[in-house]
Amino acid sequence: MAFGAHAVPPGRRASIAARKRALADMLRGVGGTRNRVRPRASSCGIVFALAFGLTACGASPEPEAAFRVALLTPSSIRDAGWNQGAYEGLLKIKQELGAGVAHQETRTPQEFEVGFRDFAARGYQLVFGHGFEFQDAAATVAAEYPDTVFITTSGSIVRPNLAPMVFELEQATYVLGFVGASISRTGQLGCLGGIEIPSVASTFLAFEAGARSARPEVSVRVSYLGSWEDVAAAREATLALISAGSDVLIHNADAAARGFFQAAGEAGEVRVFGANRNQNELAPAVTLASATLDIPSAFVEVARSVKDGRFVARPIRLGLADGVVGIAWNPPLFAQLPEAVREAAQQLEGQISSGEFEVPRAGF
Amino acid sequence: MDLFDLGLVFATLRLAAPLAAAAMGELLAERSGVLNIGIEGMMLCGALAAFAIGTATGSPVLASLAGSLTGVAAAALFAVFVLWRRADPIVTGTALNLFALGATGSAYRLLYPPEVPLSDAPAVADWLPGLNPFVVGTALLVVGVGAFLSYTRAGLAVRAAGERAEAAHSQGVRVAAARWGCTLAGGACAGLAGAMLVLWISNTFVEGMTSGRGFVALALVLFGGYRPGRIVLGALLFGAANALQFRLQALGLEIPYALLLMTPYLLTLLVLALFAGRVRAPSDLARPFIARE
Repeated sequence: MAFGAHAVPPGRRASIAARKRALADMLRGVGGTRNRVRPRASSCGIVFALAFGLTACGASPEPEAAFRVALLTPSSIRDAGWNQGAYEGLLKIKQELGAGVAHQETRTPQEFEVGFRDFAARGYQLVFGHGFEFQDAAATVAAEYPDTVFITTSGSIVRPNLAPMVFELEQATYVLGFVGASISRTGQLGCLGGIEIPSVASTFLAFEAGARSARPEVSVRVSYLGSWEDVAAAREATLALISAGSDVLIHNADAAARGFFQAAGEAGEVRVFGANRNQNELAPAVTLASATLDIPSAFVEVARSVKDGRFVARPIRLGLADGVVGIAWNPPLFAQLPEAVREAAQQLEGQISSGEFEVPRAGF
Repeated sequence: MDLFDLGLVFATLRLAAPLAAAAMGELLAERSGVLNIGIEGMMLCGALAAFAIGTATGSPVLASLAGSLTGVAAAALFAVFVLWRRADPIVTGTALNLFALGATGSAYRLLYPPEVPLSDAPAVADWLPGLNPFVVGTALLVVGVGAFLSYTRAGLAVRAAGERAEAAHSQGVRVAAARWGCTLAGGACAGLAGAMLVLWISNTFVEGMTSGRGFVALALVLFGGYRPGRIVLGALLFGAANALQFRLQALGLEIPYALLLMTPYLLTLLVLALFAGRVRAPSDLARPFIARE
């Protein structure tokens, strides 16, 4: 009965003569043949102009200052974590050094390269690419624009005007892994990552090493979303980790991590750790601590060296000892920890900070 | 954990319902002859509106309504270009998706600057475990759309507009009205799907949070052979595979996660391609129509 079950329309089988007639009609602009009405190209132009015009509203206008700094982030700066910290760093550079600043969100390697090139061509003295994934694009563009300094926050490529700024978040996740394994009832910990990139995998590696140092038989499960934004998937993945038996979890998933905290808050009987920023407030009932990064002061430091002409390209490693990496405990939950665990954690933090103990990390 | 338990069913529903609702919106539009590529953008607009109204009023009902209406508004923008100005639907839909991603992101940052603490949207309460207004609403939507298309006079007019616009016009069907109506109703479904993501599944808004669900809905309509029942089965299959995939990752098996993340897409494609048989799109899909006397 479906209307869709119609036979092939007669118009489709039009003879050549009929097609010629149709064509003639079309050229005269009369008649009623079905293919005559075509989409208009001019309207498409309007749609695209509108789309790009409004999309571009997020971009900052060209700053006037003599010293100009730009930031490329891989996802939203409203993630209460990795990207938001970088944006705050950019604002701090503006505030403390009087720099003109600009920010752009870039998602694909092509966009990274276009973003770097765009800011360098406009004469920005310093451009940050916020993450490991930016280093190849930065190396390409750095060779073309020797007067601009490029900083990638992670990675290992060094050029005369390109240096990686490596945050040793592993130092904090190692301690959190140690604490997590000490308090886990199931002996199983979970990690939720956005996209598997070496810098994220490395924080989980250190988390697992820390856990094993407390309890060698502990099991650490890692789950990835394939996205930094899919908050619904993050919630499902976290619920799956919890129902599979993980009762202490850490994430490194940027904006999608909101779903991680939602699921943890819902499950109740778990403890979770935030990453890259103090996220204890996102689920205060279950978040025991956050591995924090003070990205703003690190950004200001390197920007000041560029501004004063003191910048020397070399890997900048920042950790617990520099005060850039830290652990923010959630006081009420920290107080519930057994005293031995609290003491061991603080002792471990001291040993790492003093350089007495070196935390394992992925080589990248 | 057993790999298969009731939790898997609930997770499947959560992952499938937004897809099914969005796909119903796409189905309506396509059966009337409008190829709506902008579903993803409409979902995103609906999600932001639901979050904004939800956090402001605390009412999930008002928030859902706001999500649907914003979906309608986005669909109206699409219809103005495609139906009135006869712009290419694929180009317009793509532009709408880009526009929605940028506009919702900008609006979100304006409304909620980084200094403001993140707040949660009101959650829709479950009546029973796994049963809540959105599950029931989606089920009703599917049945409603199916019944409308198959058993009502207006549904016949819609299908006629999609299959043979000129013939329908000659029989007195108001083709333009049918296409406008279905496009707007489709926008409402997409907006509702976006609202579900916010009010039911994540209780928050994240820029780009639809993460391609609109395109999955688009594919489900095609591979489901433009039939509501098959489309819903496709959505459930996709949701189940996705839920299962997260459980497999959580079990710590030595399977590359990228492979697991792929399974829902592969499996759904495979099953629908094998069992759907020959799919024929509405003949006048994506063909502009102008009534001439």
